[in-house]
Amino acid sequence: MAKPKKKKEEAKPQAPARKEGLRELVKDWRVALLIALLVLSLVAIYPHFEDGKFTTALQFGLDLQGGSWLQMSFGSEVVGFTSLRSADELAASLGDRLDAEVSPVGPAQLEIRRSFNRTDLEEALASENATLTTYERGVSRATGDDIKRILEQKINTLGTKDARVNLLTPVGTNVVRYVRVELAGVDINTARDIVGKQGLFEIRIRTAGNETQHVLYGNAITSVGNPEQDPQRRTWGVPFTLSEQGAADFRAAANLYGAVTDPEAHPVSMLLDNVTVFSAPLAQELAKELLTQDVQRLSASTGSGTVGMQQAQNLEIHLRAGALPVEVQVANFGQVSAPLGEYFKFMSLLAGVLAVLTVGLVIYLRYRERSIVLPMVGTNFAEVIILLGIARFVQQLDLASIAGLIAVVGTGIDQLVVITDEVLHEGKVPSPSLYLKRLTRALAIILVAAGTVVFAMLPLALMDLSTLKGFAFITILGVLIGVAITRPAYGKIIMAVLSK
Amino acid sequence: MDWFSYDINRYTNVRMVAIPLILFLLSLAVVGMTYASTGLPVKPGIDFKGGTAVTLSTTDSEDAVRAYFAGFPLEPITRDVTSRVYLLKFTKMPADQNQELIDRINARYPDASVDYIDETFGATLQGQAIIALLFSFLGMAVVVFIAFRTFVPSIAVVSCAFIDMVGTAAGMNLLGIPLTLPTTAALLMLIGYSVDSDILLTMRVLKRQGRLEEKLAGAFRTGIIMTSTTLAAVLSLWIVAGLGQIEIIRDMAAVLLVGLVLDIINTWITNATILRWYAERKVS
Repeated sequence: MAKPKKKKEEAKPQAPARKEGLRELVKDWRVALLIALLVLSLVAIYPHFEDGKFTTALQFGLDLQGGSWLQMSFGSEVVGFTSLRSADELAASLGDRLDAEVSPVGPAQLEIRRSFNRTDLEEALASENATLTTYERGVSRATGDDIKRILEQKINTLGTKDARVNLLTPVGTNVVRYVRVELAGVDINTARDIVGKQGLFEIRIRTAGNETQHVLYGNAITSVGNPEQDPQRRTWGVPFTLSEQGAADFRAAANLYGAVTDPEAHPVSMLLDNVTVFSAPLAQELAKELLTQDVQRLSASTGSGTVGMQQAQNLEIHLRAGALPVEVQVANFGQVSAPLGEYFKFMSLLAGVLAVLTVGLVIYLRYRERSIVLPMVGTNFAEVIILLGIARFVQQLDLASIAGLIAVVGTGIDQLVVITDEVLHEGKVPSPSLYLKRLTRALAIILVAAGTVVFAMLPLALMDLSTLKGFAFITILGVLIGVAITRPAYGKIIMAVLSK
Repeated sequence: MDWFSYDINRYTNVRMVAIPLILFLLSLAVVGMTYASTGLPVKPGIDFKGGTAVTLSTTDSEDAVRAYFAGFPLEPITRDVTSRVYLLKFTKMPADQNQELIDRINARYPDASVDYIDETFGATLQGQAIIALLFSFLGMAVVVFIAFRTFVPSIAVVSCAFIDMVGTAAGMNLLGIPLTLPTTAALLMLIGYSVDSDILLTMRVLKRQGRLEEKLAGAFRTGIIMTSTTLAAVLSLWIVAGLGQIEIIRDMAAVLLVGLVLDIINTWITNATILRWYAERKVS
């Protein structure tokens, strides 16, 4: 069979003509966009020397910078039920029966904040005239968000930078099953201490001037509710319950220091690790009530509107003194040392450089023409830079996403080969109209190929549970940048090169 | 550059697909046997089965390392060419023994990297990984069917991808590469990338004018370069990661290598033969 032979055109264009062509090329919007993005990406990556060491603004994952991660499961469950009673009603009576905090999650689901197995809950629900339909370990989305907020705040107050808290929800459910905490630069035992650490919570009452007196510690608080809004006054507040002893102590102190008779002069303050987090006078009704009896159920009011709500959310965390609303167990954990992270980083860089070089070599062996190979490798390289530039804002690079990045190099070049071969069909340089037709056909092939990769990666990018979100994200982003920006630009560049 | 000439007219359709068919049947047997013994098409690694993985860099000898961890359920040690980076794996152990292990590691090798995966979590993860693989394959198939809108060429592309996957799974079993999160990701990548050259082939054969043999040969010239560039990138990854004991990348690269080589066979023999049969049938 006849092998299609490529004709080599060695006639070099004159210098002024080449300059003219280059200017024309840069004016094309596709090429201009590529160059603009390339420059912006370089600025975003910001390669520079700091203390004699080469650094960039890229974010790295734990496995490349060192640190620890903990993944915790919850001692609670979310169950679905069918019953003639409302979820609220059922939650209240089930809570009493099980001696656990039970709250409704939507009309047909309950969250039970204590560890029970399926049969126990089936029996308990049956005696409440309800039927258990689903049973899943974990917490509702709302409780999950609470836990995330509490952990973030706790880690932040300890001054640990670069901490990430993520909730993990398996596909096909609304139940959060795990919470994952990543802490850069600490070993696993320190990470455990940080996550498990409880603050010292204290309630004090002002006696005179700036003097305050101790009333209670956090151990007197038996439960803390979610922030709620007063239906009449529209103010937000956090309900909490004191133990019997705590309620007696509180009443005694309030009477002793005059907070009952003159609330305004003797405000009650709450402190976490000796920092005041809340301070307000007793409400008139409460003051009156405390004259005659102990009050166990209290509420700290923060104010109205969004500000009031946010303050209430923060106060809830403080009241819990960093304790989580449900019990957690460490299910999985890991640590990467900083030197090993550095080593992995270096090796990945080496692998990346080697990949680009070998790909370049293969391309050179195929075309043996600098005017084709250079734009091809250059475009490919630009693609990686742009990808890194965008990733810097949205994605931390870990080992898996670096593998994805290098795969992008391999497949990115593939598509440039498709364009080149389609355009160069039969070795002849096509007329502009024919060229356009062929470029369109090449782009159609590329589009379908890109579509399959995007759809193949989509499940992984959407799945919470795996640590491969970054990898899937980088791969999809790489494909999209390729299709939308670098391939069209390359089509233009190779046309300019060939028409000389 | 031509490494070898490509001419599928030398053989009849039946003889062409004989080799891929035999390969496919062998792969099915390997995968089936693994499935019978583990309940999964590929032997699961720590990510899915639970256990502790430790990477440490030390000048201690292998025997010294093994002696230090005597009493713990340690699996055979692997290490890199410089013999300084060790990869240790421990099977499941009770929680208190696990904590003891962590303390022991941190006492002597504070720079070690440790990963502990709980069995229950591994099982959940495994379920999710299988869902991902299924949806990923379905997504790819949908894109292919929408793109070609004709049954035979589309099903040819999708089946070639499937044969690739089964073959790669068999290859993983034979090479001892476990199914972990990273290797699952590599399989997902293969789903996307293995159809690249099939799409090129099908587009060229269906949409271009000209003689079938020329279209096939032209597609091969382009397609083989596409796969070689990807192979070159993946090969360099595999070499560097293999020398440096970066397990995640090494395993991913190995899976891609196996898959891409199988893809060459399946695209240019299996898929090309089906397309030739389809095109000739349409003409006559």
